[in-house]
Amino acid sequence: MREGFGFRSLHPIVAIVYYAGGMTFGMLLFHPAVLLAGWLGAVLANVALDRAASLRRWAVPMLSGIVIVMIVNPLISHRGRTVLTYLGDMPITLESVAYGATMAIMLLNVLTLFVTYRLVLTEQKFLYLFARLLPKTALVAMMATGLIPRLRRRLGDLTLVQRTRGITVTEGGLAHRARSGARLLHSLLAWSLEDALQTADSMQARGYGTGERSAYVSYRFRARDGIALAALAAAGSALLTGWAYGYGLLAVYPRLETLALSGGDRLVAAVYFIYIVLPLGWEWRDRSAWRASNWSR
Amino acid sequence: MASIELEQVTFTYPDADRPALSRVSLRAAHGEFVVLCGASGSGKSTLLRLIKREVSPGGRVSGAIRMDGMPVERWASREAAAAIGLVMQHPDNQMVVDTVEHELAFGMENLGLERNAMRRRMAEMAGFFGLEPLLSRRTDELSGGQKQLVNLAAVLMLQPRVLLLDEPMAQLDPLAARELLGMIKRLNEEWAMTVILSEHRIDELLPLADRIVRLDRGEVAFDGTPRAYAREAVRRSDPAWRLSLPAVTRWALERETAASRGLEPPLSVKEARSWLEASGERPPAPGVAASSMPPAGAHPKHLNQALLTAEGVFFAYDKHAPAVLQGLEWELRAGDWAVLFGGNGSGKSTLLQLLAGLRQPQRGKVRLAGAKLSRISPAERYAAIGYLTQNPVLHYAHDTLREDLRQAARHAGLPDPAAAAERAAEDFGLAALLDRHPHDLSGGEQQLGALAMTLMSRPRLLLLDEPTKGLDPLAKLRLAEHLTALHRQGTTLLLATHDVEFAASYATRCSLLFGGVIVADGAPDAFFQDNLFYATSLHRLFRTQGRAAEGAGAR
Repeated sequence: MREGFGFRSLHPIVAIVYYAGGMTFGMLLFHPAVLLAGWLGAVLANVALDRAASLRRWAVPMLSGIVIVMIVNPLISHRGRTVLTYLGDMPITLESVAYGATMAIMLLNVLTLFVTYRLVLTEQKFLYLFARLLPKTALVAMMATGLIPRLRRRLGDLTLVQRTRGITVTEGGLAHRARSGARLLHSLLAWSLEDALQTADSMQARGYGTGERSAYVSYRFRARDGIALAALAAAGSALLTGWAYGYGLLAVYPRLETLALSGGDRLVAAVYFIYIVLPLGWEWRDRSAWRASNWSR
Repeated sequence: MASIELEQVTFTYPDADRPALSRVSLRAAHGEFVVLCGASGSGKSTLLRLIKREVSPGGRVSGAIRMDGMPVERWASREAAAAIGLVMQHPDNQMVVDTVEHELAFGMENLGLERNAMRRRMAEMAGFFGLEPLLSRRTDELSGGQKQLVNLAAVLMLQPRVLLLDEPMAQLDPLAARELLGMIKRLNEEWAMTVILSEHRIDELLPLADRIVRLDRGEVAFDGTPRAYAREAVRRSDPAWRLSLPAVTRWALERETAASRGLEPPLSVKEARSWLEASGERPPAPGVAASSMPPAGAHPKHLNQALLTAEGVFFAYDKHAPAVLQGLEWELRAGDWAVLFGGNGSGKSTLLQLLAGLRQPQRGKVRLAGAKLSRISPAERYAAIGYLTQNPVLHYAHDTLREDLRQAARHAGLPDPAAAAERAAEDFGLAALLDRHPHDLSGGEQQLGALAMTLMSRPRLLLLDEPTKGLDPLAKLRLAEHLTALHRQGTTLLLATHDVEFAASYATRCSLLFGGVIVADGAPDAFFQDNLFYATSLHRLFRTQGRAAEGAGAR
């Protein structure tokens, strides 16, 4: 769908560089404000690509993961000088709360970006990128990503039917639920492994592994790809420089520094935001071209 | 020279005491359409897999398998992979990558074809199959029939000389199966493709095939033309043979008179009509056709009160999706053996799940003997209403059938689960399989096992979703016997199915689901009489006869 339009029309190399950079900086930079700026960009990318439909689908699992990180960090880490309160005899420190929160935002940012990754870097592009380097690994990785939706659908079917025989995770005591959950996963895996054998047969039957593979899909490296790559490289090196000078980093331990942004921090936040939304420029360009041609008609 | 030739092939699986195939000799000429039939476990798949050497099972093999005169193991690996195409049973599991277009290209990539050559073949094949609108779709969004069509096209991309199909229609509904079959026939006729297709339900294949080969426990039991097969099947009193014939053929051959003895046995409704005329058999009145079928279970009048009622049921899967059921009103009476027909995606499965209380309707309610289903506790609800889904694998959760049955018995609150499991297995003829992994059972065995589990709680009502899908005629007969026994004991049955012949033989009531509501509902005879599509072939045969008679009378 909508391949060849906007962001999705960019060469797979550009896309993989973009995501590699976006996620690396998402993990290198460690300041809630900077990461929030990046997250805002990632949300915009989601909106531009599919009106955030996939993002909304993932919202609940994502948010619950984040909440867990936020809660768990102060409970297991007691570093830091500023003690807020005691839970029993366990000190809860401001620093570990702040660290947990920043971690959570970092996670939120990376995951949100990853949702668009699934939309932009289709398996076809992924295969194109890695097939030459690591043909087998590429295929395995690609099949694995394709497996997730299938597993999810199957788990739904399985849960529905198994409920009739009392194997359910929504009723009964905790132990029963846990046992039922394990049972469900166990059957799901047994079933899927069984099917995977047939998939393997189908691959072999169509000559997989009989020699060097060729690639059906080809992507031309166009001018827009060159421009995008250059722009990403420029933004990336600016970010790297900023990071090397210590901007965009929040010193949490041993004592939380002020959350106020320095000039350098602000610059890093702005550049990171720009980096994330950069490919949306083509989305905008192609859309306006489309509008223009509609008007002229 | 034969395209594929097997000479005295004997094959034994490791650890098996009996060969899976013994001294099988078989020739398929260029452009021949060979149908390989036989019950489940007769060695059909093993045979096809031995021909397709990339997926050959491990084991001891003797004899020779040749393609175009050369043993298959001597062909270069790429050529062999391309020259013999294989389509398997499960549409889902054969798909490797994400989009249809890439799936079609997958084989060509494996062979290292040039990009331009690939594009050209893609254009041709997509045109032939009419797949252009699907090319950019994700493979997991397709229907079962579309998936199987894509699998077939993906194999043909390699331009095979021989096409092997291993029960390609077993998982499809009859309409999709017919479409796939039409495509296979076209390939065979227009491209002179050699086709070897294995299937245990061959009534639709008899008119199309050039040759029928029947395997029986690994040995060739029959090899000849479809018409010769029909005669042979009737000559033998074995139900496994007889039941494999189309209903009209069976009907005609069972009524053979001196005048009709010289005629070719009819294989389709059209042929049956001219057979009737030529043989001088008097066209029976439509009512006779019905009475020639096994009598439907006796219908005790006192049980006629409503057991399960649906009142204005609305259901949609998503708030943006169109409603599957739109104010459906229906009622199942105690003692019914009801059958629910309906096209693909008409909501049959959804309705069954709603009636079983597995899903809640957004509007309207379902009542069990007057009580609202949502008010009954889940455990009680599932005990009273047994539900069997299309895919019996879903019912299993343990590593052996015994463990699964025992868990079901324990869940039903039976005093001695282990003994109950043994007894249930005995009743369903599964005693020898108790210690097998459920996934290693055949489809029919899985189905019976799931039925045994569901029956542990002695449900008053049993809902079955497509129970005859993928079953061979004998397995179907066994299932029918169990269901008949249950019905006689007073269990109310509801089957959602595409299998008109099965329904006609057993049901006491037929209903048709269309547009989210029940549009036809009545006794089987009246129901089939008024239908052209949802009608048995015998009904169709006599309907045309009846019409002709009426027309003559009017003139």
